Amino acid sequence: MNIIPLLFYIIAGIAYAVHFGTSSPMSGRSATVSLVIGTLAHTFVIGMQTMQVGHIPLVGTTGAISAFVWLLALAYLYTEMTTSERAMGTFIVPLMVILQVIPAITNSVATRPPVLESHWFEIHVSSLLVAYASFALACVISVTYVLLFKELKRKHLGVFYARLPSLQVLDVMNRRAVTFGWLFLTLGLVVGAVWLLQVQPSAADPRVQAMSILDPKIFIVVMCWLVYTFELYARRAIGWGGRRAAWLSAIGFAILMLNFVPIGYFVTRSHNFY
Amino acid sequence: MHLLLLGASHHSAPVELRERIDFSRRGIPEALHELANIDGITEVTVLSTCNRAEIYAFCSGSNSAQEPLTEFMSSFHDVPEHKLTPHLYKRTDRDSARHLFRVVAGLDSLVVGEPQIAGQVKDAFEIASGHGYTGASLNRLFHCAFGVGKRVRTETGLGEGAVSVSYAAISLARKIFGDLGALKALVIGAGEMAELTVTHLHAQAVARISVANRTPAHATTLAAKVDGIAVPWEAITDELASTDIVITATGASKWMLTRAHIADAIRPHRDRPLFIIDIGVPRDVEPAAGDVEQVFLYNIDDLQAIVRENLARRQSQIDRAEFIVNEEVDGFMAWLRSRSAIPTVVALRRRFEQTRQNELTRLAPKLASLSPAAKARIEEITRLIVEKLLLTPTEQLKAARDEQEIATDADTIDRLFQLTEKDHNAPRDETEDHRDSRSTALRSSAVKQR
Repeated sequence: MNIIPLLFYIIAGIAYAVHFGTSSPMSGRSATVSLVIGTLAHTFVIGMQTMQVGHIPLVGTTGAISAFVWLLALAYLYTEMTTSERAMGTFIVPLMVILQVIPAITNSVATRPPVLESHWFEIHVSSLLVAYASFALACVISVTYVLLFKELKRKHLGVFYARLPSLQVLDVMNRRAVTFGWLFLTLGLVVGAVWLLQVQPSAADPRVQAMSILDPKIFIVVMCWLVYTFELYARRAIGWGGRRAAWLSAIGFAILMLNFVPIGYFVTRSHNFY
Repeated sequence: MHLLLLGASHHSAPVELRERIDFSRRGIPEALHELANIDGITEVTVLSTCNRAEIYAFCSGSNSAQEPLTEFMSSFHDVPEHKLTPHLYKRTDRDSARHLFRVVAGLDSLVVGEPQIAGQVKDAFEIASGHGYTGASLNRLFHCAFGVGKRVRTETGLGEGAVSVSYAAISLARKIFGDLGALKALVIGAGEMAELTVTHLHAQAVARISVANRTPAHATTLAAKVDGIAVPWEAITDELASTDIVITATGASKWMLTRAHIADAIRPHRDRPLFIIDIGVPRDVEPAAGDVEQVFLYNIDDLQAIVRENLARRQSQIDRAEFIVNEEVDGFMAWLRSRSAIPTVVALRRRFEQTRQNELTRLAPKLASLSPAAKARIEEITRLIVEKLLLTPTEQLKAARDEQEIATDADTIDRLFQLTEKDHNAPRDETEDHRDSRSTALRSSAVKQR
């Protein structure tokens, strides 16, 4: 079922790219419309899966990826509606398409093991996903920032100069997205830790027993938290705004994605419940 | 009905003449009033800018009003006709519409694609329509023109990119900072280009403009012009730290701002960019200063290169814009042709309605016994039948390809339904008189064609 939103996301991605190249109003409108349809279809799919298994399908990396893509679509649409700026879509929708391929080909919903039947788990996963979506936006904003920055420095004004908002606007958007994401990342980590302390003594599940700061998935996400914390601190304390902050946002998200997909599937011993 | 254009622009007339034929000197409403009194002119609009003076008019009958328009132009502006005529261009119908559309699109402007002209045309039209000198045809023409302007702006890059050095600097500032309202600017030196750029900045309502000059009096003069403040030459380094945009134009023989100066100004805690516009020749700022993070340094050559590139890009969009203009001219002309079918349509409708009324009157005694509801029903049904019967012929008449075809159709319909000769019972009004004369004229032209 996840293939239906994927198809609309693909159409939207193509339309955003065409719009970026030609700036024709027609392609811009069709891009937004297909993204909205895709998001609605995605909402429907997640709703159906919730009915099927009796809880929000956040268990397992596949379910989490699908929810992440959905959140990203919502976050992006919110940004587009509030800023009337479609240039970011060209960069963000392809990311959604790539990630959505995973749930589209797996197509099964993980059932929830008893140990995860807790509100702590839901808060933990959903706040982390909100944080990831926010960081994804920050990353895309930062990539466009760097591209525009390069054009301005090289004094060769091209397509990014023509299509993107100003450097300052991009910088502010990056800061807001990172701050928002950081808050949810912190919340997710704290809730995860508190919940782990509660269940670990009594849980028989080996995966729960294996959870510690040394588990690759947990370790790397803590590293990411440090990267983003540093980004926010450095901006205030030593004037690391602009391009340096943009690079940090991009690096932070690249590590998050590595953690989310390859490590989530193949390396972690504890965080794998599908 | 013909659309006439008479005018002069920077393409056809020198500035001395354009100054003399500027309508705003004596007042556009007065000109419109006099124009409307010219025999045959039904609708009129006057467009008057510093680069052009044009009259757009619809006249009934033939296009013989061209001569009176020239006479008017000469007498209104008090310029002898023999001096004026060589610089005037006259267009009719399709060419007039095409000219207006090209003007609105910015294709006829001195700087191709400049946006002000669209607003000026809008103002001109509003004056004329506000005083009641336009009707359905000119309204349609100008609204089509505004549509062309919008399409050219959104579908082509004709208006994109700055085409003057000072404006290129402002566009760059906007791309770096977004809103310029909260920014502080520092001008070092003077000179025409610096003044022009800082005037543009002033127009963008930047928060503060400081001016520094080796001669304090010069700084004070320029500062007064742009609501800025004059700062002492020695304070430049301190000013730099809190400034967002720097314009230098001293033309001194050695670097006035070195990389070290700039790096110092971009101290820690500063997360805003610094935009330096060096328009001095020789340059004032050490080029290496552009390598400092968050510093964007543009000199006069960089800005001129941007302008050249933008001009070339605009040039490459002209074909697309001309295509849009032609497409819209076709649309407008088709509409105008369909207008010339209107008298025939009106006569035909009147004939049908007359027949319906006659029949209803004739049958009235037989229908007397029916209830009011049933009578209303009969009224409605007969009316609907007439409407339906007339729908296709009306559409076909309006869809004719050219004047000739409309004339032939009108002729045939006149003959088949005996619209002119036998329609004595119908009350005559202005429209019908108009139709009669027109269809006679059309008939004679149709005969000639045969």
